[in-house]
Amino acid sequence: MLSRDDWLPLARKLDWDYSYVREEEVFPEVISGRPWLPHSEWKDWEESFKTSYREYVDNQYEKDMAVYAVRDAVGRIEDVQKLATPWMNSLKVHAAALPLAEFTGVIGNLRGARFGRDSAWRTMATFGALDEYRHTQIPLLLFHHLVRFDSQFDWTHKFYHTNNWFAVAARHFFDELTVGQNAIEFHIATNFVLETGFTNLQFVGLASLARESNDHMFERMVTSIQTDEARHAQIGHPVLETVMKHDPEYVQYLVDKWFWRNWRIFSILTGLSIDYLTALDQRPYSFKEFMEEWIIDQFLRTLDEFGLKKPWYWDLVIDELDIYHHMIYASAYSYRATLWFNFVIPGPAERKWLRQKYPKYWDDMDAVWEQISERWRTVGPGPENELAVHGTAMPTFCDLCQLPLSAGTPRHNTARVLAHDGRKYIFCSEPCEWIFRREPERYANHQDVVKRVLSGEAPAELPKLLTEYFRLTPETWGKDAHHGSYAWLGPRKKSAA
Amino acid sequence: MPIPLYGFLQGDTIGLLILAEENDTLQTLARKLQDAASLRVAGRKQVRVVYNHKTMDTAITVAQAGLQALDRFDVIAG
Repeated sequence: MLSRDDWLPLARKLDWDYSYVREEEVFPEVISGRPWLPHSEWKDWEESFKTSYREYVDNQYEKDMAVYAVRDAVGRIEDVQKLATPWMNSLKVHAAALPLAEFTGVIGNLRGARFGRDSAWRTMATFGALDEYRHTQIPLLLFHHLVRFDSQFDWTHKFYHTNNWFAVAARHFFDELTVGQNAIEFHIATNFVLETGFTNLQFVGLASLARESNDHMFERMVTSIQTDEARHAQIGHPVLETVMKHDPEYVQYLVDKWFWRNWRIFSILTGLSIDYLTALDQRPYSFKEFMEEWIIDQFLRTLDEFGLKKPWYWDLVIDELDIYHHMIYASAYSYRATLWFNFVIPGPAERKWLRQKYPKYWDDMDAVWEQISERWRTVGPGPENELAVHGTAMPTFCDLCQLPLSAGTPRHNTARVLAHDGRKYIFCSEPCEWIFRREPERYANHQDVVKRVLSGEAPAELPKLLTEYFRLTPETWGKDAHHGSYAWLGPRKKSAA
Repeated sequence: MPIPLYGFLQGDTIGLLILAEENDTLQTLARKLQDAASLRVAGRKQVRVVYNHKTMDTAITVAQAGLQALDRFDVIAG
């Protein structure tokens, strides 16, 4: 009987020569990806984990048991109810955004498991699909039972099945990244850019945030997920290395495109969670500090290691560290009823902290929060006044990332209009327009929420848009977590009494 | 028939969809945007309307300015 070390290489490398079909028919370029290369170019594909199925199952079982043990110890509803209000809403954001996004990763990995160009790649992608299935099931299990005490957790299942504007943006992103992607682009974009560049380290940071927030259930969950990510993220490196030998410009394009697309989503999910939806005394760092320490340097080192250049818009990313997620949060607060979680206004102590962490543009952001605070002072606190401190005009969205036109600074919004094939498109930023121009056939027919309203597909009146199209209810739509009742706001203005 | 325009008010954090009438003056258009953004940006008496990188005469109408559906205009301090 072969030893494990002798058997595994045989079991992982099971390629053979086809005798009655051509290789191009078994692995069509449209679904395997480009450049199309004969298997001889892929036969040395290798990764470092070299796991057998039996080892995989044993290991995952142990990890699942550890998650369930923590859930039994500290995951009861009464434990969750003790969490600080801002963090509870960060949980609602992740509860909605994470599980089914992970499920799209199952689909992408299964594509690699069938159409990846080497059997070792296909084996590893099979494990990747099982990983992502686990990353779907665990948060669905842990978060959805919280619906019993807070109906906003219903969005754990519901989010991706709605036309809520943020769900439209997230679907646009994940449909392209994972669901409808060929194997090569999927593994470079997902494993190399998203996981190596962002989420592998993001989960380390999120676990740290959860620990500071005394949320040991979430801490254990993301730690458990991160250990899977660290393994299957390795698929991307050998795929990228092989394509680099034949078409380095294409790899550079994929990295530039996908770093930007990932940055847009990531900066919102993580930026808001760190700088606004974690209680001030529980924040271990600012989002910018987290990015500089965990993401930026290591990603540049990885690019250098593979002979890639930093993306052409890199200076813009560095500048956006100071402002983009602040623009989004203030905009989202003023349109909070369009979302499924609650918000808090940064009070004087938070604003002092934000000014210290983000001196470059904070004066302009502070003026916005002062104006919003003034509206609460005028109308007075209370749930009945929520919509009096809420936007009424239709917000606008980028035709590429589908996120609000909130890029640039309050002094200068960087939105830009493009006429293409007789239609007008608007983009939040130069990189979003650049991505569209490179592959207009991929994006041109998608309609953002504004275009859906203008075409009559979505209702124009805000209440109908919220309830009939975004599928929110007065009970579940986002509110100020304190309904404007903050001691620091002082008494209601007499003139409005 | 209202003309949907992308309006950007200096000081704001998001662009807004503004429905203009052909006969609205640019002064009226600027006021519509300021009203729509008043939750986040305090009103200013002196503003300029910028379209296609040019400061426009606020006495002319949307039609005279040549603003068309889904164009961008800016309202800035001044």
